[in-house]
Amino acid sequence: MRTYELMFVVDPRVSDEDVVTMTQDYKNMITTGGSQITSEENWGRRKLAYPIDKLNEGKYMLLYVSSEVGKTALPAVEHRMRQNDKILRYLTVRTDEDLKRAARRPQKPTAGGPADAPVVDNAPDDEEEV
Amino acid sequence: MARPRKVFFRRRKVCKFCADKIDYIDYKDVKLLQQFIPERSKILPRRISGTCANHQRPLQQAIKRARHLALIPFTTD
Repeated sequence: MRTYELMFVVDPRVSDEDVVTMTQDYKNMITTGGSQITSEENWGRRKLAYPIDKLNEGKYMLLYVSSEVGKTALPAVEHRMRQNDKILRYLTVRTDEDLKRAARRPQKPTAGGPADAPVVDNAPDDEEEV
Repeated sequence: MARPRKVFFRRRKVCKFCADKIDYIDYKDVKLLQQFIPERSKILPRRISGTCANHQRPLQQAIKRARHLALIPFTTD
């Protein structure tokens, strides 16, 4: 099972309803392609750190997708986003490997030291090893 | 005899991510990333921030991702 995060920035002149319908289209593409939307976040209107196409704001949407290996519509979705000029930016990130690694790491110090060991002592050790 | 020796006091730099036990550096966490991009929006080097190599790498990746999505600037002019 692989998990992805798909974030995209929509032109702020597109109405909120249209953003939702647009997102729904992409979500349908993803689900029909055999993946699941685990959750989504709508950040709404947000100021851009730098102007894109002379626009200073953008509407941010974030989809969390999970799918089995080889069963992803994400390349197709990206392709569609590239063609859609209402989408200023998009980014797909595969997160399962990094999150797994992150979940594994904190177990080491707890396994090495007893629970009553002061955290302050553990920290420098970590730093030298890692 | 004992020569007067200059004593240097240098605050020991600690990797923020090791200290705070942040294992996954998220490109969406603008507040966190902002601590590593000073005025000119360059990525703060390890020798200044004290971040360990294992954390600087994902940090750099996260900053670049955030830049692409215009969450943080490439540069300030």
